[in-house]
Amino acid sequence: MPMYQVKPVFGDDIKTDLPTCMYKLPNIHAQRSASGCSEHALQNGTEVVDPAFRDLEVRQDKIMRRLYELKAAVDGLAKTVTTPDADLDQTVTSLSQSPTATSFRGTADLDSLLGKDLGALRDIVINANPARPPLTLLVLHAMLCQRYRVLSSVHVHSSVSGVPAQLLSCLGPRHADSYVRQRFQLGFTLIWKDVSKLQMKFSIQNMCPIEGEANVARFLFRLVAPYPSDPALATLVDSWVDTAFFQLAEGSAKERSAVLRALNGALGRDPWLAGPELSLADIACYCCVLQTGPAASSPANVQRWLKACENLGHFGPANPLLQ
Amino acid sequence: ANMEGQKAKRIVDMALYKPTVAPVLTSELGVASPNERAPADAYCIVVIVLGKQCFLVLRQQQFNVQALVAVGERASKQMVKFAANINKESIVDVEAVVKKVEQTIESCSQQDVELHIERIFVVSQAEPRLPLQLEDCVRPEGEGDEVRMRARALGPRTTTSQAIFRLQSRVCQLFRDTLTNKGFVEIQTPKIISAASEGGANVFTVSYFKTSAYLAQSPQLYKQMCICADFDKVFCVGPVFRAEDSNTHRHLTEFVGLDIELAFNYHYHEVIESITDTMVQIFKGLRDKFQTEIQTVGKQYPSEPFKFLEPTLRLEYSEGVAMLREAGVEMGDEEDLSTPNEKLLGRLVKEKYDTDFYVLDKYPLAVRPFYTMPDPNDKKYSNSYDMFMRGEEILSGAQRIHDAQLLTERAMHHNIDLEKIKSYIDSFRYGAPPHGGGGIGLERVCMLYLGLHNVRQTSMFPRDPKRLTP
Repeated sequence: MPMYQVKPVFGDDIKTDLPTCMYKLPNIHAQRSASGCSEHALQNGTEVVDPAFRDLEVRQDKIMRRLYELKAAVDGLAKTVTTPDADLDQTVTSLSQSPTATSFRGTADLDSLLGKDLGALRDIVINANPARPPLTLLVLHAMLCQRYRVLSSVHVHSSVSGVPAQLLSCLGPRHADSYVRQRFQLGFTLIWKDVSKLQMKFSIQNMCPIEGEANVARFLFRLVAPYPSDPALATLVDSWVDTAFFQLAEGSAKERSAVLRALNGALGRDPWLAGPELSLADIACYCCVLQTGPAASSPANVQRWLKACENLGHFGPANPLLQ
Repeated sequence: ANMEGQKAKRIVDMALYKPTVAPVLTSELGVASPNERAPADAYCIVVIVLGKQCFLVLRQQQFNVQALVAVGERASKQMVKFAANINKESIVDVEAVVKKVEQTIESCSQQDVELHIERIFVVSQAEPRLPLQLEDCVRPEGEGDEVRMRARALGPRTTTSQAIFRLQSRVCQLFRDTLTNKGFVEIQTPKIISAASEGGANVFTVSYFKTSAYLAQSPQLYKQMCICADFDKVFCVGPVFRAEDSNTHRHLTEFVGLDIELAFNYHYHEVIESITDTMVQIFKGLRDKFQTEIQTVGKQYPSEPFKFLEPTLRLEYSEGVAMLREAGVEMGDEEDLSTPNEKLLGRLVKEKYDTDFYVLDKYPLAVRPFYTMPDPNDKKYSNSYDMFMRGEEILSGAQRIHDAQLLTERAMHHNIDLEKIKSYIDSFRYGAPPHGGGGIGLERVCMLYLGLHNVRQTSMFPRDPKRLTP
């Protein structure tokens, strides 16, 4: 972090007098440059290392490295084979994470989606009740962070006296640059407050507050990727989102099992809930299904689909809060 | 009934009167103590005579209880007449039996009991004509303000004033406790000083033997010297004297300053976090333990409860300017915030984040004093900050320049006479750590926390350009 610079106090060349009355010891580390590989354990006492032994160690290192690489490749392949294709938009994939390459495009997108900013950080303020943490929004936050430079912060409002530690760290560790707010494109401020309904405030001059986790999720998702252009598909996404929040999360046991059966049926036909691609419907239903019960208690197609979602890696932030 | 307070054992040495039971505080009287004989020493505030009975209301600090003298086997007609003639606000000693009542007594704090007096003595008689009526003091409008300010032995007897000043005492205590727990050292700084540190316009002069001296405007100079003296984290609580001829609702010429100064390790935001955490601990202490007092004040001066976020919200100055511009205010990038703009920004922040307390960081360098450290990334701005409660500024602080040469340059830039601040600059010549701090006014913080409108209500003996007594 750039700080006030202290001018150098000492000059560059300092003459030090080495004592001449002492016996000089030869440098025992001198043979390291000869061996060329600093990972090997230092051979105590001996100055000469058997070259054949050294070659053996080098060969072993190479083989181990190749083995690890192969293992990682096989794991990746296993995941992609069981997980149906899920490219939201070329920029949001779990395997390639390069936020710096996309950040310039990101600002232009934000300008068109949210309106030109006047110098203030575009801060999205979400007031949530700690009794009902909004998992969908945490997942969407992770997706936003991959796409833009997001300054995330968590606050506790005075209407709530205490909040468990995992809710305070649910947005991840503090960004190293967080002391300069202007370096970020988007702000995500989560306030744990005693509210009856989840609420989002963005622009107090132009927008009224948005209420309900479903609506806030729709707002945030549009910053990540556009809704499907086909109106029928878009309506399907919306209807699954509403089903997730109203019948799955808040409904009676009968309603929930009915929804799970519907999910099972839909997932038998398609890999994802709304057509061939991952959409908001999948995100919302995943969080709501897991909030109501463990994965093992769902029907077979639903379980397969839950595993596929987990393999994508977006749903990491939700997991600690599900326990 | 409120069960705060301790039973105090008191030996009363009066000719005919030896108490058989320990005195009871009014605050403890309740349905749990029926039929007890309760001696109490209280202010008698209302006397109503109804035929053969005399009703009195006895008050101790924030609590009052109804008492009754009736003609019967313990009281004679002369006793009722005696009770009826006691002047308001006299101190009386009573021995009474606590009786449960069927109908709640709405006008008293102890609503479910009353005292049936068996013996009553006047300890100290008040004059029949009081300079003010306490009922007027409890009215929401500020008509009796002038008179109330003058009669300070009488005015604070109202329940509201008692609550305000007890809360204020608690703020001071929370300030000390929080900082001491963080490892701060309390220091006392001199108030008679030889040179005005921040420009000579707003200081009081006192004659000092053959020369003159000044009353300290702020303990800043001395706080910084203590940091250079390797105390690492210091705070001080003491009077601050400002000879500002402003007659506003929030200025006093003498007030209690709570000042903090600390050395930091990596970034001056450590200072901001330390100060805001202290403030949040004070607010939490009041919220959790002083609800009774807050409600009492709210009865006479209703206001919204104070809201805050933890950790405290920190916005940057440029963000604040952008928010104001969005709301239609025209101002320059490096212009200082005027008081109406501060209030508007407070409302905008309240609207968006629902907090009454926030920090505005990175003020423009041009509007800050000469000892403020400039921002290393942008020459227009500085490492300085203000904190606001309910849209009004309560603290102005910054990272201080700890390098003697840079300090001299900035002082010359501000056309300050270097001779006058020589001893100030000297303190940084012998190894000084990077440090920063700030100070708040106790009266203003209490006023804003409770949502009152005049700082004189939170000052026991206020001082302003027109008021020098009591």
